[in-house]
Amino acid sequence: MKKVIRHLAWAAVAVLGAYALAGVALNRGEQINSMWLVIAASCIYLTGFRFYAKFIAAKVMMLDDSRATPAERLRNGHDFEPTNKWIVFGHHFAAIAGPGPLVGPTLAAQFGYLPGALWIIVGAVLGGAVQDFVILFCSIRRDGKSLGQMAREEIGRLGGVTALLTVLLIMIILLAVVALVVVNALKGSPWGTFTIAATMPIAIFMGLYLRYWRPGKVLEISLLGFILVVASIFAGEAVANSPVWAPYFTLSGLALAFAVIIYGFFASALPVWLLLAPRDYLSTFVKLGVVLLLAVGILFVRPTMQLPALTRFVDGDGPIFAGKIFPFCFITIACGAISGFHSLISSGTTPKIVAKEWHVWPVGYGSMLLESFVAIMAIIAASVLQPGVFFAVNSPAGIVGATPEAAAATISSWGFPVTAPQMAELARSVGEETLFYRTGGAPSLALGMAHIFASSGGGRAVLSFWYHFAIMFEALFILTVIDAGTRVGRFMLQDLLGHLHRKLGQTSWMPGVYASSALIVLGWGYFLVQGVRDPLGGINSLWPLFGIANQLLAAIALCVATTILIKMHGSRYMWITCLPLVWLLSVTYTAAWQKIFSPSPRIGFLAAAEQLKSTLASGQLAAGKAAEIRTLIFNNQLDAVVCGIFLVLVTTILVDSVLLWVGLLRGTRVSESTETPFVLSRLRPEEI
Amino acid sequence: MAKLWQILVGLFKQLSDESAYERHLASHGLQHSPQEWRRFWDCRLRAKYARVKCC
Repeated sequence: MKKVIRHLAWAAVAVLGAYALAGVALNRGEQINSMWLVIAASCIYLTGFRFYAKFIAAKVMMLDDSRATPAERLRNGHDFEPTNKWIVFGHHFAAIAGPGPLVGPTLAAQFGYLPGALWIIVGAVLGGAVQDFVILFCSIRRDGKSLGQMAREEIGRLGGVTALLTVLLIMIILLAVVALVVVNALKGSPWGTFTIAATMPIAIFMGLYLRYWRPGKVLEISLLGFILVVASIFAGEAVANSPVWAPYFTLSGLALAFAVIIYGFFASALPVWLLLAPRDYLSTFVKLGVVLLLAVGILFVRPTMQLPALTRFVDGDGPIFAGKIFPFCFITIACGAISGFHSLISSGTTPKIVAKEWHVWPVGYGSMLLESFVAIMAIIAASVLQPGVFFAVNSPAGIVGATPEAAAATISSWGFPVTAPQMAELARSVGEETLFYRTGGAPSLALGMAHIFASSGGGRAVLSFWYHFAIMFEALFILTVIDAGTRVGRFMLQDLLGHLHRKLGQTSWMPGVYASSALIVLGWGYFLVQGVRDPLGGINSLWPLFGIANQLLAAIALCVATTILIKMHGSRYMWITCLPLVWLLSVTYTAAWQKIFSPSPRIGFLAAAEQLKSTLASGQLAAGKAAEIRTLIFNNQLDAVVCGIFLVLVTTILVDSVLLWVGLLRGTRVSESTETPFVLSRLRPEEI
Repeated sequence: MAKLWQILVGLFKQLSDESAYERHLASHGLQHSPQEWRRFWDCRLRAKYARVKCC
């Protein structure tokens, strides 16, 4: 009887999910409530988790709780420690959740809410969660090895080196693009700039407190740090209204870019305990709190989505970034659907603390579903804005016109009415000078979140606080990604340079540390400045490049996973990872090809360079402008080369993998298991 | 409710490295001291920030 009730309950969940999804997907011409999307996503996640993921866990991975995990076998009280399932779940979720699932869906909302929402739900259930889940499993069965180590052992030495190079290049593009998001959110905003600047002395205070005054009291100082950050938001308002102080914090995009570059260099060279670690603690807690707050806010307010299901920009002529739904929607949204970066986390800290093999199911698959739900909330937050406002905030001046009146007229002519006075009033209500041309997604997301939070209580009186709280929240963990990313990039570079000269590889040799930090900062700093100077807003060129890179890293992870599945079961279950792999390859190769060779200057880097060359050849430019155009030509050519390098790197790994798979399946290559041998678990339930 | 609170506190202590420090003291039979915390913290952070952070 119990079994029948259970089956009926799951059937009800499936039917409800299908009904809600049909409501979301088939509705046209009418605004719908965001609850439809929440219900559709939740039901599909539950069904995917219960049936698809459990099938993979039981039949494919053959998870076995009697088998000791690395956490138990290699227990050392430091990295390897069996930990409670739900604590590992929260830890893993906090590690995979970054700015990506918030910014990507906001940008992709230019197609309407439907394409992004469908990709987030389907991509996560069949792709992203599967990737995280399988890689975590593979790492656990191999003593917690990293993706690079597994690529080297499973595919070959070439695979390992290619994976390392790919990650390094991706890091550079990633850091540039997230820095650009912060710069675009803070330019001309004394309130936001002051708040973010204040987080630095607050973090240093936290570091000193932890090291000298109250050693080990991390939770205590994190709470104090949070109170100080909230106080700095209130102080930011006073600074913005002060005729004396406001000019010091009203910075142009370029000035902010150089400030972030200088900051990145010092943050990566300073002792970790002084700035990076305390702010990382703070940003992790704020991140978890805001995600929870947003979920509660959406459930409480149940906002209506103002954006249509599909906009006219499905034709590829969007103002935020150019290109059609296929392939650009699928590379714009990475982290909420499938992200290569997650494979680095799934083969990093997490496999070392999983106590029992079956915990991989909620930790690997479940955490990604929660991240996907964060992306759904970001789409909802972007969609609660009026479409005219959404496009006014996110469109660059190069597309919509350089004055508020021209921009409002252009956006209204697309069928999304908005006026300059309406935008001025909105800007005033959130304590900003203007909200036009704030490309990058962060300000429109902050507006949507502020709208939801303010509707939960307080109304317009608290709108400006919540807007700046949301900006602070986004910038806080983006800057943490920049600090940590620059440091890791420096380690990777030193690892590579160490092969040329032994001393360059030593992390304790300060000239080597400064030189490699400077090289990494110059790498992403160059792309950041390029993005800031880009008349199309920078996001148009940099975000797709980042999306392609991130998805190609996912392709590498899926190649490793497929190799392991073939070694375990032959061809029987290889479809589980090959399905998302084939999709990702078709998406990324098409996107990369279009970004390099499309004849449209708004899409193709080479076509853009050619168009600029024609402008230059016409000879009707001022002297200063000609130099700027030459730089833009070089930048477009450089972007095309970077895109080409990504393709070459991934093609190398793909060909290497396919040759191995064919050999394994035909029996011409020996299938050697790299799993660690079975050891009986002696872990008692009370220990976890 | 008590179980949920226990998990939440456990998660916060895990994220803040406080539980790792407690394990470190227990496994080495040490008492907390400012010097021991600094030694542990330096070692912990060196390993922690040699790994990428997710985007």
